[in-house]
Amino acid sequence: MSGMNANTWEKMLNIDRRWIFLMIGVVVIVPFFIRMGLPVVPTDEVRSVYSLIDTLEADDAVFVGWDFDPGTEAENQPMGIAVLRHAFSRHVPVFVTAVSPLGQGLAGQGLASVFDTRTPGNFALVRWADWEPFRAAGHAGRDSLEAAWEAAGNALPEGALGWVFEGVDFAHLGYQPLFSLVILGMGSSIAAQYPTDVSGNPVPEMPMLHAHKNLRDVDLAVTLAGSSACMWCVIYGNAKVGLPVAFGVTAVMATDYFPYIQSGQIVGMMGGLRGAAEYEVLETEGGYTQATGNAYRGMDVQSLAHIVIILLVILGNIAFFAGGFHRKTALKARR
Amino acid sequence: MKRTVPLMLALVGGVIMIIQYFIPHQVSQDVFDYYTSWAPVVSGFALILGVGSITRLHYHKLRAREKNWPFSIAVLVPIYLMPIFAFFVPASLGGGSEFPGFFDFMYTRVQVPIQATMFSMLAFYIASAAFRAFRAKSLLATVLLLAAVIVMLGQVPVGDLLGRWLPDTGQWILRYPNLAAKRAIELGVGFGMLATCLKIIFGVERGWLGGAGR
Repeated sequence: MSGMNANTWEKMLNIDRRWIFLMIGVVVIVPFFIRMGLPVVPTDEVRSVYSLIDTLEADDAVFVGWDFDPGTEAENQPMGIAVLRHAFSRHVPVFVTAVSPLGQGLAGQGLASVFDTRTPGNFALVRWADWEPFRAAGHAGRDSLEAAWEAAGNALPEGALGWVFEGVDFAHLGYQPLFSLVILGMGSSIAAQYPTDVSGNPVPEMPMLHAHKNLRDVDLAVTLAGSSACMWCVIYGNAKVGLPVAFGVTAVMATDYFPYIQSGQIVGMMGGLRGAAEYEVLETEGGYTQATGNAYRGMDVQSLAHIVIILLVILGNIAFFAGGFHRKTALKARR
Repeated sequence: MKRTVPLMLALVGGVIMIIQYFIPHQVSQDVFDYYTSWAPVVSGFALILGVGSITRLHYHKLRAREKNWPFSIAVLVPIYLMPIFAFFVPASLGGGSEFPGFFDFMYTRVQVPIQATMFSMLAFYIASAAFRAFRAKSLLATVLLLAAVIVMLGQVPVGDLLGRWLPDTGQWILRYPNLAAKRAIELGVGFGMLATCLKIIFGVERGWLGGAGR
């Protein structure tokens, strides 16, 4: 190895990190403009979550916990939106909760995106106060309520997939402090822990609460988490009242929770953006959506970013060994 | 007194909650409900202590014009301003209001993007760190490197294009070697937590008293 060669390798190893930042920046931005549409094959972990929700009906119920903060929004938010879409398509009532105040806001944003009828393929929201006259007339059952609502002259917006009645199809319960205790408390009564929802509507009066009074009446809890908060559902929900639990966690966390799948403590798991993309693919295959969403689009970005990082690791190793630095105690660093 | 009372409270409260968990009876549930109505009140006092402590810290920094003192303003102003907007301006955190207030604006347009940006920056630093630090210096390091490359490629669609064996191998690594290692760690941590909890309840571990009564 000549001195000139060693110098070249050393220069390569000491490359200004701003070049690396630039490379990552380019591969993150470009796929948003040039779609690749790479295939996403669903794994068993995601398929089991999807399959369970796909068996639920209007007399069942699902909990969706927005147990993350904006830091992991890119990974967790598409999971929540996909699960909401699936549940609303099947008229499965959804309880939405959050373990942090920030999660409550993100849940509101997730619900708002599903209720945005300006975009085709979403659902038309009917707020609790809007269907008060129908409630007073005794229309609490979903089918009779929808029939009465439409008979009153309310037309489904063009492109919308259906009506979603607040209090019948979903309840945004929001954030409560000390969520581990809240889960334990919901084992006996959901309404006792949440007397009102985030908009101040009376939760005990909601029709979905009449059929699902506590966690024993809930068929699945999907906790979307960017921290170990997801474990509360396992420790206090699954272990205490046998609540079936599914995880939607970030990619770096996913490796931690495989033991819980094998032990049967959780039914499945969406891991990172990939997990969300797999759920979107399953929904499209199942005919619930016409097209995949943001997670699937993001997989192009992630593919390129992973390739660039792997290439950087390979190049770093080539330079390290070719330059003979593995025989030296220290590399002259200028980083 | 300063030491005995907290120790007794921890002992009685801890033992009651352990026993309550295993008794499926209404009385047991009532005890639990009573306890849970106390817990938010106690944590409310903790919040006051926390806000008081951080205010005192940054007030001293401001007063002494310590290094980076302007950042203390950035801490103190939102701490007091955001609750004011939340209580006195119609807020819509969670979609409760048709006309979002300033609180909502600060949440969706400031807090959410700031947190998302902080986390997103990790991708850039991870790429730089991987280039500089991920070396096949030994057999174990090489195994780690290969496993990482396979799992990384298996996690993205481009892995499927390179060959189905890649995501399958990645999943195998996650489902078996990773699972075994994680289970061992989790069990170790679990037993450690159990031992620590029992030591606190029975007063063997007293670090949480903060030197009270010494």
